[in-house]
Amino acid sequence: MSRESPTRSFPGERGGFDTVADSSLTRSERVRRLLDLWLAAPLRVVWNDARARIGATLLFGFLLMGFVGPQVIAEPSIGQAPQLLGPFHGGIIGGSWYTLTSVDLFGVSVPWLGLEWLLGTDSTGRGILEQVVHATPRMFTMIATAGLFVTALGTSVGALAGYSGGRVDQVLSTVIDIVMTLPGLPLLLILVALLEPKSPVVLGLVLSLQAWAGMARAIRSQVLTIRSTSYVEAAQAMGLSTPTIVAKEVVPNIMPFVMINMVNAMRGVIFASVGLYFLGLLPFSEVVNWGVMLQLAYSNGGMLTLDAAHWLLVPMLAIVLLSMALILFAQGMDRVFNPRVRARHANTTGGSDDDTEPTEPKTRAVSTEGNL
Amino acid sequence: MNGYFVKRTLQAVFTTFVVVSLSFGLVRLMPGNPADQLRGQLIRNNPSLSQQEINRRVANYINVDLSAPLHEQYIDYVLGILQGDLGQSISQNAPVTEVLGEALPWTVFAFSIAILLMFVVGISLGSIMAYWEGSRFDVGSTGLGIVLNSTPNYVTGLLFLYVFGFILGWFPTSGHISSEVVPIVNPLKPVATFQFVADAVYHASLLIGAVVITGFGGVALAMRGNSIQVLGEDYLRVARLRGLSDTRIALRYVARNAILPMYTGLLLAFGGVIGGSAILEQVFTYPGLGYYIVAAVEARDYPLMMGGFILITLAVVVGAFIADLTYGLVDPRVSTGGDSA
Amino acid sequence: MSKTSSTLHERQSSNGTADSGSTGEDIILECRDLSVAFEMDRGTSRVLHNVDIDIRRGEIIGIVGESGSGKSMFASALLNAVVDPGKTSGTVTYHPSDDESDPVDVLGLDKGPLRTLRWEDISMVFQGAMSSFNPTMDFREHFVETLDAHDYDVVEGIERAEELLADLYLDPDRVLDSYPHELSGGMKQRALIALALVLEPEVLVMDEPTAALDLLMQRSIISLLSDLRDKYDLTMVFITHDLPLVTKLADRIGVLYAFEFAEVGNTAEMVENPRHPYTRALLNATPNLDAPLSEMRPIEGSAPDPVNVPAGCPYHERCPMATADCEDVKPPMELVTDTHEVACHHWRDVDDEVPLSVGVER
Repeated sequence: MSRESPTRSFPGERGGFDTVADSSLTRSERVRRLLDLWLAAPLRVVWNDARARIGATLLFGFLLMGFVGPQVIAEPSIGQAPQLLGPFHGGIIGGSWYTLTSVDLFGVSVPWLGLEWLLGTDSTGRGILEQVVHATPRMFTMIATAGLFVTALGTSVGALAGYSGGRVDQVLSTVIDIVMTLPGLPLLLILVALLEPKSPVVLGLVLSLQAWAGMARAIRSQVLTIRSTSYVEAAQAMGLSTPTIVAKEVVPNIMPFVMINMVNAMRGVIFASVGLYFLGLLPFSEVVNWGVMLQLAYSNGGMLTLDAAHWLLVPMLAIVLLSMALILFAQGMDRVFNPRVRARHANTTGGSDDDTEPTEPKTRAVSTEGNL
Repeated sequence: MNGYFVKRTLQAVFTTFVVVSLSFGLVRLMPGNPADQLRGQLIRNNPSLSQQEINRRVANYINVDLSAPLHEQYIDYVLGILQGDLGQSISQNAPVTEVLGEALPWTVFAFSIAILLMFVVGISLGSIMAYWEGSRFDVGSTGLGIVLNSTPNYVTGLLFLYVFGFILGWFPTSGHISSEVVPIVNPLKPVATFQFVADAVYHASLLIGAVVITGFGGVALAMRGNSIQVLGEDYLRVARLRGLSDTRIALRYVARNAILPMYTGLLLAFGGVIGGSAILEQVFTYPGLGYYIVAAVEARDYPLMMGGFILITLAVVVGAFIADLTYGLVDPRVSTGGDSA
Repeated sequence: MSKTSSTLHERQSSNGTADSGSTGEDIILECRDLSVAFEMDRGTSRVLHNVDIDIRRGEIIGIVGESGSGKSMFASALLNAVVDPGKTSGTVTYHPSDDESDPVDVLGLDKGPLRTLRWEDISMVFQGAMSSFNPTMDFREHFVETLDAHDYDVVEGIERAEELLADLYLDPDRVLDSYPHELSGGMKQRALIALALVLEPEVLVMDEPTAALDLLMQRSIISLLSDLRDKYDLTMVFITHDLPLVTKLADRIGVLYAFEFAEVGNTAEMVENPRHPYTRALLNATPNLDAPLSEMRPIEGSAPDPVNVPAGCPYHERCPMATADCEDVKPPMELVTDTHEVACHHWRDVDDEVPLSVGVER
């Protein structure tokens, strides 16, 4: 979402709280403050939360794997290596899974670590790591498509229903309820069987066809709540423009719900696509996918022997870690969008700790049981 | 009071109508739709048949008479479904209702146990986490919950099958029951019945385990959040001051108010999990509803495919309907027009 | 009421539990050095600081303070019900009405006796009546479970509850069979008062019981409370931020500022002749239709931080009369009259420095 819109609306704003303080600042100081509040502070929030830190690290790893990986790691092909090699074959140290070579970088020869079947190979001699890495870009396309589609449709339908109320709300809510009731997988199975989608974009769309409803429902109830809160009424009474109110009051409040629902939709798409590839219901002859790997491992006797454990475990790990990265990252972002937490982490905006601390005993009361 | 029930009933009826219409749309209007595909199959396999005969067979298979106008096809289709006629399975060579009717109890059996266990484990763990909020146990369980939440149940299923089924050989790797066990449920023959049920549970246990393991984390996290919220409520403080016993506060106040919002989730989870049963049943070669749907898709057995879709969807609609109605009975706020989202 | 009111408690004789009995005053709750502290990252937060006060049997005492003055902590401390990380120190002594019973050291009670004391002897009505009931239980069950928990006879107790509800102008049958969301805020508030009185306690502590209600409902509850006190011989501690409201109800008023009492006295004296500049500021800040707008002024500044209470008189930073003395020396409680005491170095000069705008109607 655009970080810039709230930023731009700060300085020239009439009647906002910030104007008073900001008018005395130089332009560069103001820019520095804004950078701190909207860029550095979120990063600091992320870094100060263990879950967000793990999520961000994992996600960064996957991005690296998806964008850089295919350039560095050889494309998997049948018979490229001996069959069913174990991971780190020859031992972690002194094994034959790595070679010291050199790489030509801008005309200069640089020493380079060449990886050969780092995580072993499958029964047709294809490298496991190679397959996992080369499956990632398609996965990203699919996830991104689904995330965009779900967010766009979910927020617009939800906001429309919540904001307009009345008959429009009734109709949209009924639609949302019905879409939510439809059992996902059977419908997907049929659609996939009929459409046989090959493009990851189409696949992402088909697989997230239902997920927007959950987000729409969450957004609708949030918009309903926010619309009736006194701070929005107050902002309206103060004459703030609608875009300003939306940017400063509404967006920060619905962002956590958007993030969580988007991530859930993405997770659903990962699970469903891998599952469908695993079932062999998606056309997969030329496609590398973690689900295809699972399917091959499952059906080619990988289940019967310990030698093939890596064939089964590596794609599983990829699925679990990617969904975990998304979930943890979304939870961390929840804190970023919470203005209170962000303000506490901004260096330049005066800490308003006094507001929050006296309530501390009250919130701590939550954890006390049986003390009375 | 009654307004709530009337509204829910109308909504359930309307949803059913939408589902049936949707499936007709899938059968008849989608590009590459089953009716045309089926017709093509029949013509290819029996080139000598007359056009009329082909249409008759298509009608027999999926309740759609291709020679009639579209709106008549629709009405026939809906009426057929309302009469319980889901057509004829091609690959199983039997009425769809018969094939699915045989599969349904197994799916319901295995997944009911699984979901029940999942909620029992999740709710217990979640309450303990909430009571010990911030402790090492809480932090550890939360982390575990997130990891489990990130794992699709078929991945756990595959792992279980691999480790406990094939490598260790503790559990059967396919089927409903052992071949020598007679399926019998008869209160007059308790031993045989017990043997049968025990054997069925034994065969389903890896599947059940996979559902529970991947599902309870999410339930626990939700329960934890709800309980923490309730623990901070004013009425809890007042209840303690009033000198109510800890047991009563834990059950009547915390548990009740934390579980109630999850109640509809339970019945909806049922729909979701059964909907997702396809992959798990495939992994464990457990011939239930989902297994047959996948088999139907693989064999391009369109009647069975659509029948499975309709049956599952209607089951979910009915489940959601029951959830709504009974929720109105257990939570006083709903039926009397309190705050319901 | 309190015809025998003699001297207020004086600091010098603060260690005399036996004293108070012998002076002929009928005291029901006696607080000495009552403090509440929370340990926080940036230091100890003392949200109630060495408070000494006696509450007399049968009186209605109003405790007034702005938000963050420690008044809710005072209420909780009276029942030894401060939430967990908070530490309560000092003593609260409860003198039961029958002569045989020994005085009870409230802060030293074990879990069992404390559970008995609360609600049976000292009961409490909370700030948030709207959310003080279990939303999934009807009112009857709330009453029944309370009676059960204290081994009271349920049939008798429910009859008493019905009478209480009727006293509070509620329809007992309708209320008892309702769920919390079915009643309005004012009805819930009154039901909560009935629930607090169902075990026939001696003392009823009310923390902002009317804060969430509209003005009309506030007034009607105030008058109901007076009737209840007369009918059931109750002692009431009424905690509020609304000084004019409490003048209509209380026999005595204590003003809390920065976690200590600034001034305590009979209501008439507090309204007509307040001696503490803060009390005066509170009265002057009160919106009053009778007072000209020019005489109404908000109190400048804000309440002190519980972690860093200023040295000397806690009010000196906001006080127009502050002198160097006020910054260094903490003013002791001094008697203005037998029934009126104040903690201010300059209480004698307050008339000139902080004139009282047209008085609150009594």
